[in-house]
Amino acid sequence: MANRGEQNVNPEKGYIALLGWSLGAIEAADKFDRRYVVVAPDWAEDYCKEHDIPYISWNFERLNDRSMEIAQTLKDMGVDVAIPLFEETVEWAGAINSVLLDNPRLFGQAMLLRDKALMKRRAQLGGIRVGIFEEAHDKEDVVRFLKRVNQTLLKLDGDPNDPIHLKAFDKAGCLGHRVIRTPDEVDVIPDEEFPVLMESHLDGWEFAVEAWIHNGKIRFLNLSEYVTLGYSVFVPATPELEKYREQITKQIEKLIKTFDIEFGFVHPEYFVTSDGEMYFGEVAYRPPGFKVFELLERAYGFNAYQGMILSFDPKTTEEEITNFFPKEVVDAKGHAGCFGVYPRRRVVSKLEIPEETEEHPYFDFHELTPPLEETVTKRTAFGTHWGLIYFFGDDPYTMRDLLKHQEDLDFYV
Amino acid sequence: MDSDKLKRLSQLLDDAIQQLADSREFAKITKLQRLLDIARRVLLQEGGCALLEARAQRMEEAGVFDGSDWAQPQTLVPSLTTYSLKSPDAPTVVIEAISELRLLAIALGEYIHPHMSAEQAHHYLTQVLAINLELLFGAPSEAEREQQGRLALATRSFYRHLAERIGYEHIIDQLIEEIWRILQQRPIQVDSVKQMVTQIAVCQTNPEIDLGVSGQGADRLISSLYGPTQACREDPGIAVYRERLEAMDGGALQYEATGFARAMHDTGLVSPYHPILLRHLLEQGDYLLSEALGLSSTGRDCLLCYGDLVRATIDQAIFPETAQGIYGLALMLERGILYQPALAPALWRQLALPVSPYCQERLTLIFGSQPAPSAWLMQGVLCMLGQPLGVGQGNNPTCQSARALSMWAYSDPDYLLQMVVWAARDDEIIIHFEGQPISSRESEGGVASDIPMDLDPVSLLVVPHLDRIYAEMGRRCIDREGDPHRWVNPEFHGWWSGRGFRINVDVATGQLWELDDFLRHFYASYHPYYNGNQPLIHPQPAGIAVTDSAARFVGWHAITILRVTLDPKEVMRVYFFNPNNDSGQDWGDDVLVSTAGKGERFGEASLPFEQFASRLYIFHFDPLEPGELARVSEDELQRVKDRIVKSWGADRLPADELQASHF
Repeated sequence: MANRGEQNVNPEKGYIALLGWSLGAIEAADKFDRRYVVVAPDWAEDYCKEHDIPYISWNFERLNDRSMEIAQTLKDMGVDVAIPLFEETVEWAGAINSVLLDNPRLFGQAMLLRDKALMKRRAQLGGIRVGIFEEAHDKEDVVRFLKRVNQTLLKLDGDPNDPIHLKAFDKAGCLGHRVIRTPDEVDVIPDEEFPVLMESHLDGWEFAVEAWIHNGKIRFLNLSEYVTLGYSVFVPATPELEKYREQITKQIEKLIKTFDIEFGFVHPEYFVTSDGEMYFGEVAYRPPGFKVFELLERAYGFNAYQGMILSFDPKTTEEEITNFFPKEVVDAKGHAGCFGVYPRRRVVSKLEIPEETEEHPYFDFHELTPPLEETVTKRTAFGTHWGLIYFFGDDPYTMRDLLKHQEDLDFYV
Repeated sequence: MDSDKLKRLSQLLDDAIQQLADSREFAKITKLQRLLDIARRVLLQEGGCALLEARAQRMEEAGVFDGSDWAQPQTLVPSLTTYSLKSPDAPTVVIEAISELRLLAIALGEYIHPHMSAEQAHHYLTQVLAINLELLFGAPSEAEREQQGRLALATRSFYRHLAERIGYEHIIDQLIEEIWRILQQRPIQVDSVKQMVTQIAVCQTNPEIDLGVSGQGADRLISSLYGPTQACREDPGIAVYRERLEAMDGGALQYEATGFARAMHDTGLVSPYHPILLRHLLEQGDYLLSEALGLSSTGRDCLLCYGDLVRATIDQAIFPETAQGIYGLALMLERGILYQPALAPALWRQLALPVSPYCQERLTLIFGSQPAPSAWLMQGVLCMLGQPLGVGQGNNPTCQSARALSMWAYSDPDYLLQMVVWAARDDEIIIHFEGQPISSRESEGGVASDIPMDLDPVSLLVVPHLDRIYAEMGRRCIDREGDPHRWVNPEFHGWWSGRGFRINVDVATGQLWELDDFLRHFYASYHPYYNGNQPLIHPQPAGIAVTDSAARFVGWHAITILRVTLDPKEVMRVYFFNPNNDSGQDWGDDVLVSTAGKGERFGEASLPFEQFASRLYIFHFDPLEPGELARVSEDELQRVKDRIVKSWGADRLPADELQASHF
């Protein structure tokens, strides 16, 4: 079957490059009306050939002397803009786009968005509220920071400590994220994880935002409600969170200004404290994990990757992008959520979806696979779940409680 | 409530099907998981199967089976369904179920499939149902429950749906009919038949299953295995039966002997009690032995001449596990081949043959450790010599090797025994090709990529060698122009394969070639009305373009032409051997290969001469035989050519004949 009707392609529109391998993104581009090319490591070559996917081979390691090569190749092909699909390709997109769009500042901006410590400083400079943070180079730094934070909070000896959070500088989402409460816990951190970013714990409600930006303006703004961080998320959020929409929009506008973002897609995380104050956590310049794009498509019916292509493409017209996005919240057909399953037992032999989950009218489907090993490794950091379960339904509160309830169930027995 | 749920699930399913259908082929894999998970839950609901059946076509068109074996339903093997339906992996179970519901839709004419006819689908499903009968009637075993959980119940309700749509009685009766049809061909391998008979017996004795009036025809089948005589009527177990024999006088033993013999010759199945009697009779006179083998005067004469050999053979090779050897022994005696001077000494050699450790291991692996590997091999030898047309290739692409074994057992049994010795004792066979020795040990891969497992004991050991030698002969012809069978067939099969060779397909282009001359030459060589009424002397290898029931080309296949003669209704028929395990096939355009009732001997397939000629593409002849092209009437020739053009020749017409055929 011929893959792609060339007649779908509108030559007036931009020519985009996708950096990194994501079938969802490739399919979205393939069905869309723009020319595209996938830039991915050489293991993808055979697959692309077999399926007629336009492809350029490139191994995304650290930026180096050869980095200009790929930018030049894309420029010679007439590519207009590069879109990063993973954390690791964000700096590449910056480097490439600074050539394609003849704007050297884009590279610096990408470096800011790649380093969590730099990012926080920049946010602070822009007048955005952040928690206390510091870099740690070894375990002693961590112990010192833990003590200092708790002194600042006027804790007495014997009072339970407020935890601190450790995160890798340049990894996506929850990868390498640890919570430390006591100095003992510091010992289990492997040396090779350093350096890390340390942050004070913000007692508040954490949520994520997805914002599509074009010509410096927000075109669609989604609030993703975390029921429990690392376990579950759903869209659109409950009215409790949505009531902050206006405030949040102001925060994102501030972010756009501070980081000088003209186009593209951002995925920041915030905390809102009980008194309604917003604290900035971090921001990523790439699609979020936990299949939020899939959830958005389920809830609203638009393809979030195609939205991204529109926001990045300099040839996108005002009319086109306005027509593409639905109206937030009111246009949603329902609420879509997903839950990441971690085995709760130490020894498991099989996958068994609890009947109450499977029988729930909101249950959509699961992508869990049978266990490969019987012994479950103890979880030390927020990490990789064993698979996701998807739900869809009308009521946000039912959704929230349902997702919360899944945490008490065994999927692997 | 439940119908609400089904309705909700059906919406989800429709949504998932649409999503898959809209998806680019390279991204379908990412959409499949959702669809299969939803389909799994649909399967668990009352009425879910009907829902899936109704969507089967849409699911297939959306690409559910893309990139998997299920995408080519015409190649699916019924016996494999046992594994996929019991798999602990839910998606495998679900996709198998969807595939079969699709076949159901095809079988019932709801879905016109491009590669599978309704009859094919029906036939396939009947076999699947037969093989998995316990899914229909039994409760899930503990192991299944443990591995599959609730899904084990879903496979059962799915099976019931399948059976209800096809009709329960229909299944049992059709199953019995199917078993008889297969048995009429007297295959050497009867394990799957025995399995099906056992299933029917289990169903009949289960008080919870109401078979209605169906299943009447199964009595002879079941009794021939589990209670063919008075003294074992109630299936008492071997030990009890042995005790009963001890207490019998001559009259009673005679009664037992004729009972077993009748059951065996009726069905081709041998009861495990039969060897007990036979071994008991070793100490009695020849008369009872001959009765127990059910021999005619020819066989009895042979037994009397070679009494020691027969007794030694029974003693060494005939046990309850190897009971089928009795049937082979009886038919071997009936064939009178022991009177060929080389055969008796060759069989003595076989009885004393040291089997190589490798061959012992293979025999034990496939057939079990009881009795000894040499007994299994001897049983295989008896069966092959007694039933040369019962050889089957199993599920392997080794039709040439199976054909060669059958041909040797049929007309050169002492050569076959030599092959068995080389393979079993030396782990090497050497056959010469145009004066050059070809060793199976030194030749690389054969046609089959894996070592075949599903074969009789002789084929199990010999076929891997033959397959490599056959492939090597082909490799040595690579540079030659034309079809390699021209040189390979005579060298591989035996001196009697004609060196003359005729093919009606141009190897380079695949187009039909010199069709008229080919057919006239075939008539002149084989048709008694055109060859001076000369019956065929030796079996001849030939090549067939096999077509499916819709007359579409399936592939090239090796067969043996055995006889050409008038059938009881005075129709000239070609009788041939097909190494495929079941010769009764529908080749489309009313070409129905018959296996019984048209004058066939056990194991023969037959077609009217014209119909056979319309599927033939290679034959051999003796180039020294003075012959001229037969003056076949234009009408008859045209009828044959029409059949070719309507089937496998449809897209093989050379450009210049294209016009001629548009009349």
